[in-house]
Amino acid sequence: MRVLAKAFAGFLMLAAVATAADAKTLRINVTGDPAMLDPITYSELVAGRVLRNVYEGFTDFTPDGKIVNVLAESWTALPGEHGFRFNLRKNVKFHSGRAFTAKDVKYTLEQLAAPDTKAGIGAGYVARIVGIEDVKSGKTKELSGVKIVDDHTIEIRFTKPDVLFPIYPIWFMDSGIVADKGADWVRTVSAGTGPFKFKEWRRGAFVEIDANKEYWGNKAKIDGVRFLVIPNGDTALAQYEAGELDVLDVQESTIRRVMRDASKEKERQVVPRAQSRFLAMNPQVYAPFKDKRVREAISLTINRDGMIRGFYDNAAFQLHGITTPGVAGYFNDLPKPKYDPEAAKKLLAEAGFPGGRGLPPIDISSTAVFKDELTYYANELNRTLGMQVNVNVVERATFIRAMNAGEVAFFPWGWTSGYPDAMYYLEQMWHSKSPYNRGRWFNAKYDALIDEATATVDDAKRFQLYRQAEMVYIDDVGAAPLPMVASIALVKPNVTGARATPFGFDRFVFAEIK
Amino acid sequence: MTAATQTTRYPIDGWRLVLRRLARQRNVLIGGAIVLFVVFVAVIGPSLMMHSPEETDLFNPWSPPTAQNPLGTDKLGRDILSRLVYGARVSLLVAGAVLAITLTVAAILGMIAGYMGGRIDAFLMRFVDIMLAFPEVVIAILIASMIGSGVLTVIISLALVWWPGVTRLTRSFVLVIREELYIDAAIVAGTPTWAIFLRHLLPNIAAPLLVRASVGVGFIVMAEATLSFLGLGIQEPVPSWGGMIRDGLPALRTDPYLAIFGSLALGITIIGFNLLGDGLRDALDPKLQGR
Amino acid sequence: MLRFVAWRLAGLVPVLGIVLVATFLATYALPGDPVLVMLSDHSSNVEMANRLRAEYGLDQPLWKQFFNYIAGVAVGDFGMSYRYVRIPVVEVLSDGIKISPILALAALAAAASIGVGAGILAAIKRNSGIDTAIILILVAGLSIPNFAFATFFVYLFSIKLGALPVAGWGRIDQAILPVAILAIPSAAYIARLTRTFMLEVLGQDYIRTARAKGLAERVVIARHALRNILVPLLTSMGIIFGGLISGTFVVETIFNIPGLGRLAIDSVFARDYPVAMAIVMLFTAFFVLINLAVDVAYAIIDPRIRQRMGVK
Repeated sequence: MRVLAKAFAGFLMLAAVATAADAKTLRINVTGDPAMLDPITYSELVAGRVLRNVYEGFTDFTPDGKIVNVLAESWTALPGEHGFRFNLRKNVKFHSGRAFTAKDVKYTLEQLAAPDTKAGIGAGYVARIVGIEDVKSGKTKELSGVKIVDDHTIEIRFTKPDVLFPIYPIWFMDSGIVADKGADWVRTVSAGTGPFKFKEWRRGAFVEIDANKEYWGNKAKIDGVRFLVIPNGDTALAQYEAGELDVLDVQESTIRRVMRDASKEKERQVVPRAQSRFLAMNPQVYAPFKDKRVREAISLTINRDGMIRGFYDNAAFQLHGITTPGVAGYFNDLPKPKYDPEAAKKLLAEAGFPGGRGLPPIDISSTAVFKDELTYYANELNRTLGMQVNVNVVERATFIRAMNAGEVAFFPWGWTSGYPDAMYYLEQMWHSKSPYNRGRWFNAKYDALIDEATATVDDAKRFQLYRQAEMVYIDDVGAAPLPMVASIALVKPNVTGARATPFGFDRFVFAEIK
Repeated sequence: MTAATQTTRYPIDGWRLVLRRLARQRNVLIGGAIVLFVVFVAVIGPSLMMHSPEETDLFNPWSPPTAQNPLGTDKLGRDILSRLVYGARVSLLVAGAVLAITLTVAAILGMIAGYMGGRIDAFLMRFVDIMLAFPEVVIAILIASMIGSGVLTVIISLALVWWPGVTRLTRSFVLVIREELYIDAAIVAGTPTWAIFLRHLLPNIAAPLLVRASVGVGFIVMAEATLSFLGLGIQEPVPSWGGMIRDGLPALRTDPYLAIFGSLALGITIIGFNLLGDGLRDALDPKLQGR
Repeated sequence: MLRFVAWRLAGLVPVLGIVLVATFLATYALPGDPVLVMLSDHSSNVEMANRLRAEYGLDQPLWKQFFNYIAGVAVGDFGMSYRYVRIPVVEVLSDGIKISPILALAALAAAASIGVGAGILAAIKRNSGIDTAIILILVAGLSIPNFAFATFFVYLFSIKLGALPVAGWGRIDQAILPVAILAIPSAAYIARLTRTFMLEVLGQDYIRTARAKGLAERVVIARHALRNILVPLLTSMGIIFGGLISGTFVVETIFNIPGLGRLAIDSVFARDYPVAMAIVMLFTAFFVLINLAVDVAYAIIDPRIRQRMGVK
């Protein structure tokens, strides 16, 4: 008993020593630990939440999708060539105190191409730079397409036109960091130029960033941001209600509660999410999906209004096809998908499967986030079309690997845009050459339109090409478009300047705690 | 403890003794009634339901109790009553499977240990001692890592947790029976060991073992619910009480029916099994009377 | 005595051995290639896959991997995490390992004091209204799963009354609800045991003698009865700790406490097997040692048992 008493006393002391978060530190929830905290391997949303405040690229975008110059003061197209000349911002310092120069831009681009760094999303942005293959294969470390003119001028050349390159969120890092802090630098410091710098990562508990007092632009008004790791959306909501969070990123499981609670109306921010949602039907795995009529029948069976009302209490938007409101190149007058069970039955019968007879059983799979939707699709497809559909919930990393390998037959998924231009969706999701074409719907006409758009500098002309491509996808039912769930945040009344945007939260530079 | 100390242990008035026995009877009756009802619901219930437990209705999510859905609906508009009733079947099937596996393993090992004695006995019992009450979640994590979450994981994990206790129980029965004259007679007559096991030991331990093992059903039901609650157990769309409570908890403030009815069903069932189990154990074990 | 402990320690070897083999098989003989899972979007990059495979020692023959695993575990090295690529498992565990034991011990302290108190009270006031009430609470405490209790408590204390935080860890007020929820089943179990043994002890001759000598009831209970229920309580420590460990998983999940339990569950879902298995090993070792300690304490307290257990 005395041992226990001692243990308890120790526990009390420990609890007393642990300090509460500083009042000027903004507390916000994230769903899990970030998978990484460096801008090279960066490839997932939680890491993006943090890193967006720590690292910067040539440009950034405002909550309404406008492009602003950040580390690039200006750029011009290289005459007669595919490429740009960037004039870099002067007097910018990294968190280490070193000056930001063209050398760091080159270093970052080379890191993204290097064969041994396991580059994430950024790898796709550098894919058209001249000499990329030689770096990837390990033949050389130098990107021949990147030329340092002087400390604040750099030229980048491409093998094919890449008109959107200046708006790609490529986050530049300090080229001296490895020499300075070793290969493990990411565990102790950050190597960006952003308004916040890395402070501490307690796995399973929180990631904290501090305001960068030496920041070149508008300095943060708060002392820092603490991203608390709260996997369960309900726990997060309860913690917000109890005043343990200043800003709540509302998870899907709690949307209904948040939307129905009139007392939260003033604290609520609802914005469309830059996320394209779809129900993929992979014809390479499940042969009946080769028939457009089968794909269309499935799309017609989904009651999207019911989902929007039942699942999300109207905090969701039905997409027409691929693109989402808030990105350049979105058209709101494209035809919307219909709900028509009778037509669906007829189409399935025409395809040779009346009442679902002759269709082999199929798994509908996804990650736990989609569990409710999966259950609904399986039940609805069985009830209306007579399809035998089994629900299969798979762990995220495993599932992403299987999707990328084209091994998954039938799955709902979402693709979140990294920059505010529809090209992000159109090219990455459904171009036949994209490594992320997970549904394996291929269409030569679609590919040709996208290829043409990539090389079209004029915005209006390019958007028309987007429009035509999206119509090809809609007509051929490349996948069944699904409702896009709104991005919802709750912000305490004493906090200003924290804004939810279609791309997640705006940088916390303007946030203030009263 | 002997019967003599039993009667002299504590001064009790005669009428109170009677009342107490009646009260104990009452516990057994209540427990028995609950268990019978749950079994009845699990067997007959699903065929009486208006809705299938997996039938979704997006226009009717989180409905309060109505004539259509007497206990309301869940997030997908599925009928809570149907899911509860079907969940009873799932719970009992899991408990039954765990008991069947446990009893088979325990009967064999317990007879070996109790009858053979010696090193085999010592080794087995040492092992049993350590495995006893090993946390089921830890085992479930091990199993779930190997074969994924699901019904099979629950059954294997719980069987692994339960066999040691039942094995020890079997052994204690066998130790008593081994001293009986007819066993000696059989040995002298040259009956092979396996035949002694089958003809003499098994028939004599079967009934008490079954009854004693069923004392644990309440805890098996609870353990299954816990694993399903943690996501290691029964998976959607198959209804399980633990899973229903997990899904209902977040909505407790706005739509409390799922969590409340789920918790009630689970709590009452376990209480029923525990009351019945305790009563049976007391009745079977005079040593424990009065506790 | 030393021989006794040594014998008992030897008895642990097969258990730990079995768990070791099971965790190894779970970690290394799984369907699907962990390296491909780690590479996620880059799973088609053969070069990267080979590098990682070499770093994790997964390119070696199975027997060698097993040998390395055992050699590692022997010195407390559980390899590297799959989820946090290249980060040692030990480092991933380092925060949780400071939290779960505190949680469990605090709950044990609470459960022991409440349980023993309630048990004695019920025994003394036998067959009264208090006894019945306590028994009813015991049945509920043992029957209603702690996740159901948690909902009720959080709803009442955190949301309705706003008296306690909903989740988190690090401050004393954040610990109250988790510790209370975790303590409930153990407290009920301890109370039940205490009541049972108390009744038994109270019926013994020496208690009657003490009473007959005119000693105050309080003294009788404290001096004679209480000491005698310690032994049976001690022997139940294994079961109590088993319950606490199971409860840790539930409570840490509900209250978002970054302890070993939540980490283990998260790791299973994230297929971070090295971490999940290290936690299984830790809990096993801990559990087994608790049982050993109980046995030893038992033997010290009661020489007759030592005799029976074959110690000369």
